[in-house]
Amino acid sequence: MSIDLLRTSLSILLQGLVATLLLSVAAIVGGTLIGLLAAVLRSFGPWGSAHVAKLYTELFRGTPVLITLMFIYFGVSYFGYAIDVFAAGAIGLSVYQGAYIAEVFRSGIESVPRGQWEVSQILGLTKAQTFTFVVLPQTGKIVLPPLVGQYLSLIKDTSIVSMIGMSELMHGGQAIVDRIGKPVEIYGLVALIYFAVCFPLSQWVRHHDRRRLT
Amino acid sequence: MSHQTELKPVISLAGVSKSFGSTRVLKEINLEVRSGEVLVLIGASGSGKSTVLRIMAGLETSDSGEVWVNAVPLHDPRRAREIRGHVGMVFQQFNLFPHKSALGNVTLALVKARKMSPADARKRAMDALERVGLADRAAHYPSQLSGGQQQRVAIARALAVEPGIMFFDEATSALDPELVGEVTEVMRGLAREGMTMVVVTHEMGFARKTADRVVFMDKGVIAEQGEPEHIFVDPANERTRQFLHRVLDH
Repeated sequence: MSIDLLRTSLSILLQGLVATLLLSVAAIVGGTLIGLLAAVLRSFGPWGSAHVAKLYTELFRGTPVLITLMFIYFGVSYFGYAIDVFAAGAIGLSVYQGAYIAEVFRSGIESVPRGQWEVSQILGLTKAQTFTFVVLPQTGKIVLPPLVGQYLSLIKDTSIVSMIGMSELMHGGQAIVDRIGKPVEIYGLVALIYFAVCFPLSQWVRHHDRRRLT
Repeated sequence: MSHQTELKPVISLAGVSKSFGSTRVLKEINLEVRSGEVLVLIGASGSGKSTVLRIMAGLETSDSGEVWVNAVPLHDPRRAREIRGHVGMVFQQFNLFPHKSALGNVTLALVKARKMSPADARKRAMDALERVGLADRAAHYPSQLSGGQQQRVAIARALAVEPGIMFFDEATSALDPELVGEVTEVMRGLAREGMTMVVVTHEMGFARKTADRVVFMDKGVIAEQGEPEHIFVDPANERTRQFLHRVLDH
């Protein structure tokens, strides 16, 4: 492999990594907001909204993320609108991961004893105040390790967005293989880069999950 | 306060019934509590005494009958929430906010529900902690306090909103025996200051020394009530006699 080819390849992978990280951050923010909203609606929403939230989580937990992405990307153009592939990827991953994140938040909310709600009611706090200032802060320690674990799987799932043509890390690797071959080396390198991003996070989860259990 | 208002009940239960599923836990309860009175509810577990307390505090709604507390009709779902922030309750499990310091536990409702400035809330909270003898523990978190101290913080938190009535639901039952005294001491102090109190407890010593009136509940009805001397020395009801025999003789 010539120096030039190597340099081009690395630059493609670097650009891909940047796109992967941007997409991850966008989907983490989106998925967390959607998940929190779904968890709140499911636990406290009026009858109708609680059922909609339940339907949402069950629907997306029961379908592959690729189908979600295809529906959004091609579905939007089917109705005659254009959607940027990054936006489609970010929305698709947010909606998909939001369903899992909702369950993480829900288990956290339900782990807070009923007595916390009762004493807050007697003290004159509204339900919304109780949730914001009493319940949510207490869920942090319980929710954070599984939440970061979910973010991990989200980061890896961004590779699937290459299937709808987004130029992220995985797609960059494919592009290089298409040009110069050497799939073992190139995909090995791509895997290594994903690993370098995810390993510190998984170590963090492992450490905090152990602390949580002891 | 005139003699007339002294006599007026601040709590009034008339024909109150309550079922959980197919179990009738309260049957046509009639009970009044006057301002400044210390009423102690005793009885075996499952007798319905905690349910009476929780209905008075607005945590449960009765299936039938009328419940008036502080002139709020708790049986009226549209108005029941008016009671919130006007009575205090102390729970068996303390229910302190674990993520807040002792001070933070007391100020939260003052700032968020009462809309007091943080400085005013802090001052009020420190006064309340002083009252329960824990001003020097203001910065401690619940996990750093003993059970007795936690329960006293919970009492300070309830007192800080200046409630008209204080409810105690087995406030000393979760405490190690040597820690019970510091909590009942605070409760006695409140009673001496004229606080209206409804207390569910297994502490017969507290009931006997501090109560103005003792109500013995059995299987969802008030089996007997009267002054502590009457109940403890010469109960009229055979079931009261048996109950007292069991709890005092163990």
